[in-house]
Amino acid sequence: MVVRSYNDELKYLEKINNYCWRIKIGFQPNMKVEGCFYVNAALEKLMLEELRNACRPGMTGGFLPGVKQIANVAALPGIVGRSIGLPDVHSGYGFAIGNMAAFDVNDPQSIVSPGGVGFDINCGVRLLRTNLWEKDVLPVKEQLAQSLFDHIPVGVGSKGIIPMNARDLDEALEMGMDWSLREGYVWAEDKEHCEEYGRMLNADPATVSMRAKKRGLPQLGTLGAGNHYAEIQVVDEIYDKWAACKMGIEEKGQVCVMIHSGSRGFGHQVATDALVQMEKAMKRYNIETNDRQLACSHINSEEGQNYLKSMAAAANFAWVNRSSMTFLSRQAFAKQFNMSPDDLDMHVIYDVSHNIAKIEEHLVDGKPKTLLVHRKGSTRAFPPGHPLIPVDYQLTGQPVLIGGTMGTCSYVLTGTESGMEQTFGSTCHGAGRALSRAKSRRNLNYTDVLRKLDDMGISIRVASPKLVMEEAPESYKNVTDVVNTCHAAGISNKCIKLRPIAVIKG
Amino acid sequence: MSATFVVIGGGIAGVSCSEMLSFLEPNHRIILVSESSLIKTVTNIQALTKTITNFDVVEKEAQSLAHTHPNVTVILDSVTKINTIDNIIETKSSNILKYKYLCICTGGRPKLITHRLPSKYILGIRDTDSVEDFVEKLSDSTKIVLVGNGGIASEIIYKIRNVEVHWIIKDKHITATFVDPGAATFFQESLNQTTSSSTAKQMRYKEDGPKSGAALGPDWYKNLEIYGALSKSLPDNIKIHYESEIADTSLCGDSSSLHPIKATLSNGVVIDCDLIVSATGVLPHHQFNIEGANLNLSKDGGIVVNQFLQTSIENIYAAGDVCSPNWPYATHWFPMRLWTQARQMGCYVAKSMCANFNKEEILQDFCFEIFTHSTKLFGYKVILLGLYNGQKLGQDYEMLLRMTKGHEYIKFVIQNGKLQGAILIGETDLEEMCENLILNQIDISPYGTDILNPDIDIEDYFD
Repeated sequence: MVVRSYNDELKYLEKINNYCWRIKIGFQPNMKVEGCFYVNAALEKLMLEELRNACRPGMTGGFLPGVKQIANVAALPGIVGRSIGLPDVHSGYGFAIGNMAAFDVNDPQSIVSPGGVGFDINCGVRLLRTNLWEKDVLPVKEQLAQSLFDHIPVGVGSKGIIPMNARDLDEALEMGMDWSLREGYVWAEDKEHCEEYGRMLNADPATVSMRAKKRGLPQLGTLGAGNHYAEIQVVDEIYDKWAACKMGIEEKGQVCVMIHSGSRGFGHQVATDALVQMEKAMKRYNIETNDRQLACSHINSEEGQNYLKSMAAAANFAWVNRSSMTFLSRQAFAKQFNMSPDDLDMHVIYDVSHNIAKIEEHLVDGKPKTLLVHRKGSTRAFPPGHPLIPVDYQLTGQPVLIGGTMGTCSYVLTGTESGMEQTFGSTCHGAGRALSRAKSRRNLNYTDVLRKLDDMGISIRVASPKLVMEEAPESYKNVTDVVNTCHAAGISNKCIKLRPIAVIKG
Repeated sequence: MSATFVVIGGGIAGVSCSEMLSFLEPNHRIILVSESSLIKTVTNIQALTKTITNFDVVEKEAQSLAHTHPNVTVILDSVTKINTIDNIIETKSSNILKYKYLCICTGGRPKLITHRLPSKYILGIRDTDSVEDFVEKLSDSTKIVLVGNGGIASEIIYKIRNVEVHWIIKDKHITATFVDPGAATFFQESLNQTTSSSTAKQMRYKEDGPKSGAALGPDWYKNLEIYGALSKSLPDNIKIHYESEIADTSLCGDSSSLHPIKATLSNGVVIDCDLIVSATGVLPHHQFNIEGANLNLSKDGGIVVNQFLQTSIENIYAAGDVCSPNWPYATHWFPMRLWTQARQMGCYVAKSMCANFNKEEILQDFCFEIFTHSTKLFGYKVILLGLYNGQKLGQDYEMLLRMTKGHEYIKFVIQNGKLQGAILIGETDLEEMCENLILNQIDISPYGTDILNPDIDIEDYFD
C-alpha cells in the first residue's frame, strides 16, 4: 500500500459536484480507470475522516478505508467506466460494501471476483403490499409477528417449504423460484416482479461443492430459521404519487411486509470455495491485484465460469428462501384476518438483489457493450423503458427497495436514465457503517485475566482501541442521508418511505 | 402392538426424534416409550445463526405429544428386554412392542461420588426429581459441599442463597467444562454480587411415585431460587476448593458438631456439612437385556453409533447422552453430553432412520461440522463455537482476547491465521461472524488484533 500523508492523499481526490467525488488514477497503484463516490456533506465528513485515520502513523494494514478499496477495484483487469462507491459504502472483504464495478465480457483480460459479489450471495429485499391500514394491524401486530414464521407447513406442496434432502436441493438450485412455484408456494405473477424472474438460467448445481450443499440444507428442527428477517411496515411518506400508484400504494398508512434475506451459509461456502480456486488461478494466469482479498479469475476461464454457475445456484437458493418467507407471510396474514392472501391484495411489489454479478448490456462511450456487472451492497436501478423491467413498471422505472437496518425506515426508489449513464444503472442498498464506530466507552483491563491464562502456555494477544478520537463522530451512515444523496445525485428517485411497526427475526 | 418406529426415552433426544419422525413420516406409526409421565419438549427455538440455536425445554404431560402429533403413541413403561431376532421389545408391564426401527434415547444417569453415607446426605443432581429433592433438603441446611465443575454446578453456585457452600472442583478454575481460566475470572466477579430475588416458583407438575425422570433442561434453574436455612446471606458464603476431590466421607457421630456429616478432601481439608451435592456429569444409562445380538459399547458404556447414528445392529439407532459417536469427526466438531447435541442428534436420527427406511441417500446434518453451544452462565449469555478451548490443538494456537469488565469476554482461538474456535460471553453480536469465519477458514492474519478492535464494527464486513 502506498503510504502518504493525509494531505497528499487528498490531492488525488476531487469534488466534482455537491454529491460526487472523483478518485484520480495514482491514488492506488495500477488503476486502470478512475474511481468515484457519492456523498452529501454529512457522509463526506465520515468518508474523509476514515481516510485520515488510516493515514495516521502505525495504522497501516488491518482494515482498509472504503475509498482505498474502491481504488483497488479500479486496478482490476478489464474494468470499464469507473469503480463506483455508493453513498452507503463501507469496508468489506475485498470490495467495499456499496461498490459496483463493470468488466467488459469481450476483453479476454476481464475478471470476475467473488469479493465483488460478497459472501451472502443474492442477499436482497422483497416487498409485499396489502390493502390493510395501520389501524387494522396495530392491535394484532404482536400476534402477526409471532405467527409469521413459527409454523412449519405440512401437507402443502409435495415437499417441505424449503428443500429438505439432497435431490430437492439440487432441483431448487437449478430452478430458483420456478421450484417454489411448482411446489405451490408462490403465485405465477410473483416471478414477473423479480429480477431475472427469480431464476438465473446459468445455475449449475454440479459446480457446487458437497460441503456447500450440506451447509445449505436446513438445520434440522429449525427448518430454515436463521434465514429470516422481516418487518411489517406502514407507508410513512409518498414522494412520487404516480409511481407509488403503479406499485399499488395509494395512501399513507397502508401496510406492507418487507422481507430481507439471502443465501447465508450456502452462499458463504460457494464464495469460500471459489476464493480458494481463484487464488490458484491467479498464479496460473499471472493476474495481479493490489489486495489478496480481491482474488479473481478471467471471466472466460474455467474457474471464472464455475464461479458464475455456482453463484447463480446460490442466487436461486436465495430466491427460494425469500419465496418461502413470502408464503409464510401470506399464510399468517390470511389466518389473522380470515381472508385469502388474494383478497388482501398481497402482491409482490418487487424483489431486488444487492449482492450479485450479472451480464448486462450498457453503453460505454456511446458504444453498446456486454458487461459483467458486480454489485456488492448495491442495487440495480434500471430506468423507464428498459427491456429487462416488467410491463407494470415500464413507465416509472424499476422499483428499488432499500432496507434500513432493523427497526429504522426503509425506502422505495425508482431507477433513472441519469443513473443508467452515471452508475450502470446502480444505486445504494441500505444504511452503512463507518469504519470506526465506538459502541460504548469500554474499560479494557486484562491484568487479572492474563495472569490466570498465563499458565496455559499459549501465546496471547489482546484487542485494544488504537485511536483516541478527537470527537466521537456520529459514524453511522444514516439510511435517510444515503437515500437523499442518491436522489440528489440523480441516480435514483425517491418514491415511498416506509416505517416499521413490527420486526421479526427468525 | 407394533409400529414402524419405536423410540425409547422421554428426554430431549427421544422427544425430538419422535416429533421429527412424525413430521417426516406422517403415515407411519411411532411409539414413544417413556418411564416418566412428563416428557421434555423444546420450545422458543431461536436460531442465533445457521448452527447455533437457543431453546427452552418445558415438561409436558407425555400424552400431550400424542395430541399434537397424531401418529405418535406414548406408552408409560420401562423397557426390560430387546429381542433383535424378532424385532420386539418387552417392558416391565409385560407390553410387547414390535418395531421395524428402534431408537434408543435413554439418556444418562448422574455420576455419583462413591460413599459410605446414608443416601439422604448425598444428592446427585441430574433430573427434575433430584432438583425438587435438593430444594427441599437445602431448606434445612446451613452448610453444604458441592462437587462438580460443569454447567449445573456453576448455576447452583450462582443461584444458591442463605447457605454456606464449599465448592470442590478438580480444576484450577471454575466452570472448567466450558470456559478457560480467563473467563472464569470474568465470571467470578458476578459471584460476589447478589442477584435480585423473587419468590420460588413451582418447578414442575406433580407426579406420583419414584421414577427416573428425564434430564434437566437448559434453563431448569430459571425460576428457581434456592434458599438454605441461614436467615441471611453471609458476605462470603462461597468457598472454592481448587484442584481437589472428595477423598472420604463419614458421619460425624460427635454430638458437639453442628453438622451431621464430614467430607475429607484429597488435600486433607475436612469440612463438616449437612449435605453433599454431586453434579459431576453423567454416564450413559441403559438397563435392558439384549437378545440375539450384541450392541457395541464404548469405554464409558455409551452405545457406539456411526455417522448415521446407527448402532452395531442394523435397524437399531441411538441418540443423545446414551450414545458414543464413532466416526471421523469434522475438524471443528467433537461430541459432548449436552442439551444442544441431544436435540441435534434426536432430529438427525429421525431423518437418518427415514432415509434408510425409504432407501434414500442423506447428507449428514451440518450441525456435526461445527461444535456449538448456547447457554447462560452466571447471568451472562455464553456461546461456545468450534474448538473454543483449543481442543485438538495442543499448545499450538494463540488466543486473541477482548474483555470489558462486567460486560463481555471474547476469546478467539487462532491457528495459522485462521479462526478455530471462540468463546463469546455477554451480548457481543459476533456469533454469526465467528461461525462463518470458522467454517470458511478465511485468513484473518492481515487484520491482526484489529479484528477485535472495539472501535471497529465488523458485523457485516464478511457478508
